[in-house]
Amino acid sequence: MTPELDRRAFLKLAGATAIVAACGGSVAAPSASPSGKISVYSALNESTNNELSAAFTKATGIEISLLSLPAAGDLQTRITSEKSNPQADIFVGGSSEFHDPLGKQGLLEAYQSPNAKDIAAQFKEASGLWTGWYTGIFAFVSNTSRLNAEVGGKKPATWDDLLDPAWSKRLIVPDPVKTGGGYIFVATQIFRFNRDEAKAMDYMKKLHANVVSYGPSSPGVITSIANAEAAGAPNWAHDILTEKAKDPARIDLTIPKDTGFEVGAVSIVKGGKNLPAAKAFVDWVLTKEAGELNVRLSKRGSVRKDVAPFPGAPTLDQVSLVNYDRQWATDNKTRIQKLWQTTLGIQ
Amino acid sequence: MRSLRREPALFLALLAVASLALAFIVYPQIQVILTPGPDGYVSFLQEGTWLSPLRNSIQLTALSTTTAVLLGFVYAYAMVYSNMRWKPFFRLIGILPLLSPPFVVAAAYTLLFGARGIVSYGVFGQSPNIYGLGGVWGVQTIAFFPFAYQLIADALSRSDPRMEQAARNLGAGSWRVFWTVTLPLSRPGLGAAILTTAIYILEDFGNPQLIGGQFYVLPTQAYNLISGFGEYTSAAAVSTILLLLALGLYLGKVRLDGGRSFVTISGRASSMPRPPVSPGLSWACFAACLALAGLILLVYGSLVVSALTLRFPNNLQFTLEHFQYVTTGTNGEALRNTLVFSSVAAGFSAIFALFAAWLVQRGQWPGKRALDLLLILPAAIPGIFFGLGYVTAFNQRWLDFVYRGWLIIIAFIFWNIPVGYQAAVAGLRQIDRSIDEAATSLGASSMRGFREVLLPMLGGSLRVGLVTTFVRAVTTLSLVIFLFTPPTTVATIRIYQLVNDLNWGAATAFTVADIGMAILALSIFAVLARGRIALGAARA
Repeated sequence: MTPELDRRAFLKLAGATAIVAACGGSVAAPSASPSGKISVYSALNESTNNELSAAFTKATGIEISLLSLPAAGDLQTRITSEKSNPQADIFVGGSSEFHDPLGKQGLLEAYQSPNAKDIAAQFKEASGLWTGWYTGIFAFVSNTSRLNAEVGGKKPATWDDLLDPAWSKRLIVPDPVKTGGGYIFVATQIFRFNRDEAKAMDYMKKLHANVVSYGPSSPGVITSIANAEAAGAPNWAHDILTEKAKDPARIDLTIPKDTGFEVGAVSIVKGGKNLPAAKAFVDWVLTKEAGELNVRLSKRGSVRKDVAPFPGAPTLDQVSLVNYDRQWATDNKTRIQKLWQTTLGIQ
Repeated sequence: MRSLRREPALFLALLAVASLALAFIVYPQIQVILTPGPDGYVSFLQEGTWLSPLRNSIQLTALSTTTAVLLGFVYAYAMVYSNMRWKPFFRLIGILPLLSPPFVVAAAYTLLFGARGIVSYGVFGQSPNIYGLGGVWGVQTIAFFPFAYQLIADALSRSDPRMEQAARNLGAGSWRVFWTVTLPLSRPGLGAAILTTAIYILEDFGNPQLIGGQFYVLPTQAYNLISGFGEYTSAAAVSTILLLLALGLYLGKVRLDGGRSFVTISGRASSMPRPPVSPGLSWACFAACLALAGLILLVYGSLVVSALTLRFPNNLQFTLEHFQYVTTGTNGEALRNTLVFSSVAAGFSAIFALFAAWLVQRGQWPGKRALDLLLILPAAIPGIFFGLGYVTAFNQRWLDFVYRGWLIIIAFIFWNIPVGYQAAVAGLRQIDRSIDEAATSLGASSMRGFREVLLPMLGGSLRVGLVTTFVRAVTTLSLVIFLFTPPTTVATIRIYQLVNDLNWGAATAFTVADIGMAILALSIFAVLARGRIALGAARA
């Protein structure tokens, strides 16, 4: 060992001893606080990603290497294909449907954060494989000028209102075969008719007469409505609000009765390189501070009761929801998608 | 080529090419094919959700390939034979449709020609429904004709003007010369063009995804199973079906061209000009190319306008904010990664393809058909599965020390081999064997004969390989989506994110920067290469 290295090692040791002494003096032997760097796979949008990770690093001193893709399914597949040598510590964002299968395949680390104890059971996995931290509500976006000029200015109060001939060829629906949002829309109809699939399909068939096209991505449909390609479309409330903020007169948001919602989750990837820091991330994401930041940036809701909703954004207790059975919706997905295609004669 | 036993260097080269192809094409892809397992395949096949996408894929491939190859042929003919003006301009336009990052260009068609399109509604007051078979067919024709054009132009330019002169001198009209001399002799290029274009169209997901509406095809089904629902297993089964289809196309092509000879370059040098085409024909070529160029420029021009305005198409106030955004922070880094990865991959890929083509086309050794198929197959593998195969195969702890960028570069090299390889094979089939035999009879080794005699004549094919690998590497999203890491993020990943964030201005600015960078790189390459591979640069 060179003298130089020797001196550094000594200084480090001395520093560590001092820190341990300082901590040990006040609290009853806390475990060394996690540090270093974690790799986060995120399905959140860009502005949320940037500010959220900066705030986390500021709060904990842990650095984040952020890999972001807009489709949670891409991240889920990535985590599955990397299982022999996991590259992620954290999977954050995206509906719980994308986290749950990973847990079942044994690719997630169960962790029950102390900060999760006040979160309602419906928002988290019982053993802590994933924890919900935000909510998104399925809603309706309308193009203001086309709504007023062609549909008589009446926004849909219920999903059934969309069957009105006034909407004929004026709707875009996210494609139920291509997008998660489109499938949630179909599943919502099934739950709305108390799982009477025939009735739900009858609804989808009648709706089809009013649909001008089925969009290939949920956010893309909002762009189409903003560009007046159609008068309205079912879509995510938070994304509608984000687009509306850019040009408030152009589009508007409505929440029809009996709608569906998603629970956005966070989970720890098993075999990651920094488990203590990953737990610290989950703990932090579930704090009031992180909840408020996310509400402000993404306009979604928080699962925490002490986080105020974004001004103008709907909350789960205000809107009328269907009894959305996530497990059933996931298990029956392929069958329902096929049923929908057969009903419309596009199979 | 002499026997392998007498030339150990040749044997080693063959061994190297074969093992690289096995390691970086076959091995990763087997990982994907095996993913569903027997039960996975059985249950997927029984669900039957693949039936109508399969039917649609076959129909769309047949339609789009026909029109794309026709268009490619017309364009190539105009470039090589006619005396039309503005050829350098049209050469650039012929590459532009290849530079289409997914989502953005297809979306531009919607903005221009859709229900509220600037052209369709704004100019003509029509609200057409472009979503469906008709729309994808049109967009794919434009998007894929450059593959056919490049391969056919390379073959046409190698045809010997003396044969055509001879036919003319014997009294044949230019139309008759075209049908009885030009067309038959360009068959290797034509066959290669049909096969490659068909396979690429079969594999295309971006255009059917955005414009296909309810016309679902296999690649969109595979992509949506992954992106929309995280179902890797079923998606891998779809990918296997695509591979089988491509295999069918390959076998069809092998049957079609049989063992004929298409030699057009014999031992004697020729500096004779091509027989002149009539001025009327040149003008017709010019008009046709100009119309096509106009359409292409309209689409790409709308991207530039969108990148320079506040909120296209609703607020057309001029702004530089999107471009400022693109050059700040990690965005500049993503552009640089794209440039570096793509350039390195293009060089390696083109040289490897040419060398492999020589081994396959000139060699006499068992198993060369298998290698031939292997080097075409990557075209049929949707990028998303090529990437997934790489992650599954090479994301191993003992490889962690390797810079991730290399994995992306290697994936670019092998995924993009087919076009360069096809061009080189077609080129070699037109060069008389007696030329390389002359070299070896005079004592040169086969390798030296390749390097000093054949290589200079194959400049055009090398250029085709370089250009297509480069532009495809610059514009692919699906291949890198599972391979990139934060420090190796590329431009298309950022564009994907921006499109989904509904940040259309920044997404188009990124696209314009990406395309601009690619064109700049290609121009610099063209200038550097002039003289070095004069044959390729001078020809279309």
